[in-house]
Amino acid sequence: MAENPHFEGKDALTHVIDARKKGQEIMEEAHGAPLSGGTFAFCEAANESAILSVIITLFSYAYNLPILLILPVFLMGYLIWKSGRTAFLGYAKLERLHRLIEEERWEIEHSRDQERKELESLYEAKGFSGKLLDQVIDVLMADDNRLLEVMLTEELGLSLESFEHPLKESASAFVGVIATTLILGIGFFIHPFLGILTAAALIFISCSIITAKKEKNQVFNSVIWSLGIGALAALSAYFFSQILINGMR
Amino acid sequence: MRQEPYLFDEFFSSGMEESVSPFLKKSSQKWGENIPLKNAILAAILLVIAFTLSFVKIEVAYLLLAFVYFHAGIPAIIKSAQDLKSLEINIDVLMTLAAFISIVIGSGFEGALLLVLFELSGAMEKVVTHKARGAIHNLHQLAPKMALFIDEDGEITQKSVTEIEVGSKIYVKAGEIVPIDGEVMEGATSVNLVHLTGESMPVFKDVGMDVPAGATNLEAAITLKVTKTATDSTLSHIIQLITKAAEAKPKLQRVLDKFGKRYATSVIALTAFFIFTLPYLLSIPYLGVEGSIYRALTFMIAASPCALIIATPTAYLSSISSCARNGVLLKGGIILDALARCKIISFDKTGTLTSGELSTSHFEPMSSKIDPDVALSIAYGLERQVVHPVSSAIVKFATEKGIKPAVITNFISVPGHGLQGKTSLGGKEVDVYIGLSEFIQKKTDQKIDQIKREGELLSLLLIDGECFIFRFSDAPREQVKEMLESLKDLGMKTLMLTGDHKANAEKVAKSVGIEEVYADLRPDDKLGLVEKLSKEVGLAMVGDGINDAPALARSTVGISMGQIGSSTAINASDVVLLKDEIHLLGWLFSKSQKTMKIVKQNLTLALSVIVLATTPALLGIVPLWLAVILHEGGTLLVGFNSLRLLKK
Repeated sequence: MAENPHFEGKDALTHVIDARKKGQEIMEEAHGAPLSGGTFAFCEAANESAILSVIITLFSYAYNLPILLILPVFLMGYLIWKSGRTAFLGYAKLERLHRLIEEERWEIEHSRDQERKELESLYEAKGFSGKLLDQVIDVLMADDNRLLEVMLTEELGLSLESFEHPLKESASAFVGVIATTLILGIGFFIHPFLGILTAAALIFISCSIITAKKEKNQVFNSVIWSLGIGALAALSAYFFSQILINGMR
Repeated sequence: MRQEPYLFDEFFSSGMEESVSPFLKKSSQKWGENIPLKNAILAAILLVIAFTLSFVKIEVAYLLLAFVYFHAGIPAIIKSAQDLKSLEINIDVLMTLAAFISIVIGSGFEGALLLVLFELSGAMEKVVTHKARGAIHNLHQLAPKMALFIDEDGEITQKSVTEIEVGSKIYVKAGEIVPIDGEVMEGATSVNLVHLTGESMPVFKDVGMDVPAGATNLEAAITLKVTKTATDSTLSHIIQLITKAAEAKPKLQRVLDKFGKRYATSVIALTAFFIFTLPYLLSIPYLGVEGSIYRALTFMIAASPCALIIATPTAYLSSISSCARNGVLLKGGIILDALARCKIISFDKTGTLTSGELSTSHFEPMSSKIDPDVALSIAYGLERQVVHPVSSAIVKFATEKGIKPAVITNFISVPGHGLQGKTSLGGKEVDVYIGLSEFIQKKTDQKIDQIKREGELLSLLLIDGECFIFRFSDAPREQVKEMLESLKDLGMKTLMLTGDHKANAEKVAKSVGIEEVYADLRPDDKLGLVEKLSKEVGLAMVGDGINDAPALARSTVGISMGQIGSSTAINASDVVLLKDEIHLLGWLFSKSQKTMKIVKQNLTLALSVIVLATTPALLGIVPLWLAVILHEGGTLLVGFNSLRLLKK
């Protein structure tokens, strides 16, 4: 019998590990949080700096402001903010995770009976019962390391060895903003106005392709949606500025 | 999810460090290593570039200076805020305050320098001190987490040691570490207690005898009746001893901290006092370059203990670096101070003064009917079939002599006693035995009794009624005698503290020139003695086994062997001789004394500069720029003086 292509030649355990990761990723998206990892930090920073640069460009041209001064100054500040903030948020997440693991370890050391009951409930819900349930719980309870891992993954729904270090994510965000700055700079020298807009569009498209491929989403749809949101944000900001200025006259 | 459970021990014992966080990808964990040190080095580099650029393009210099304040200043602010929150005003607070106030009065570079040096010294200290956590981590690793539990039906299942109750039965296979303290119910074996007692010879354990957790079962599987729970076991007891010992460690740092707190509080109080009183005392205004605020802040900068702060760490770092180049690892500069205070040095025997490996010193017949080479060949044939320190010594001895092993049939190993078999000798088959004198039944022989009294280890070989004696020794290390002489020249008293037999210990002590011997010591006894001597006169303890770990941690200075030492002893000690070059101890103690001399010079210089700059600053004689130059000049001088210790 031919092997089902769905499994991509992976053994059962590897497939379960991948499936769990996928589940975790989907859950993160559902909450609107950006995915963990260097590539996502890079794309996030690149997209954000691009859209904000577009808004500043539109505003500068509309009201005759010195774009060559405003845009680099803005991007410099944003570069430090974005990379620093990414590291800070990453550390905050790590601190929360470490607090959780410490609490769970304390529970294992001080309330083993309670942990046993929790495990029994978890595995009863999975269809285990009777002597088989007792045996499964005995095996899980026999090793504290295994027990802690099971409680973290089954009870708290956390994944081990799945996050990038906050400084690595920060470095990716830093590179993301630098890359945007360089691309926008090249665009500016080709054409001071259209060049920047085109460069920003290219950044949106590239980042959408990268993230869509990583998430295994439809690339074309992602690109169009991303460009659409960017255009809407830029135009909204521009027309809102006109409303405010005309209102003041 | 993985087939083997994730091991969280290292993460928890490290104090939940990010570099071993179980949530981070393995490839990502290295980003979290030594963050404070990397941060301080980055700040130092940025400061150097900023200072250089300040002569060319001041705006760029200020931009970089902002980063220096971010990298070195934010950790300092957080630390100071924590100190202030617990109502503690110390040097940290003063340094941070002085550094940030220097921006206000236009001396941002000096403030940044202050912060960078402060961060660097703090980060270095963090890098070199992790011993208490590390020691406990290693001990936990030694203790098995699981035991083979025998239930009422006789079925064997794996169970966490924490779930096994007193009275339960457990099964320990040959080669495994005993997981919980117990009493032998079935079987007999030899166990190695070297990690627990320092005794390198295996100990025989039969039915009814106690076996402690952490012992290695050498020969045969045994069934134990659990006598203590995992938390009450011998190993747990040692872990508690180490924890207490590490916490109770005497530290000069506490004295410095105490001084620092008083100094910082005084300077801050005086600054505030001068701001408000100078206008009345000297008839000057509050504001302006001649005002009281300006003068008081100048006083604060001049009094900020930059030179004072680097007076000790730079000297220590130079010495640490010099020691490292010689293969001596010091866990923090404070150790040098403690070394200089030691008046007594005590040594463990096995593995420290001696190499820790048994070698055959004599092989002699008690009669001359059988050729000794033939006898050695038979001994080789018997001993090559088992793993035991005595067997290794005999096999090595025979191999070196170019002897081939005899063919042994009907081989039987009697755990804890010896080996027996049959071999062909002169065309007939004879019985051969090797092992303890009790096993060979030569109890009453005077020569054997004499050897035992001398503390020597022996093994008897019996071939067809003819007896041969193997004598073993644990030879002293090279250059030990010379090293002990050099320590005595420095005015130090030498002791031996060992868990080994008295006769054996005295013999080794006599051969190398140790002045006083304390033998047959259990870890508790050793710890008590070390604690007493450390309190009274200052004691440096040199050891290598896990049993030495509590004493190493509790002594004024613990010194361990880097190559043969157990990782627990290495972690519990303050000094590690990386290449086991014990002869470097004399050089090390001399280095510590020189370091103390330089530290005293530095402190005198730093305090002189502070006294010279502060009072005139208040009187308006010393302007801010001169106060800064005096302050920084003093700092540089102190730094250069310390560098003299870099010499090998």
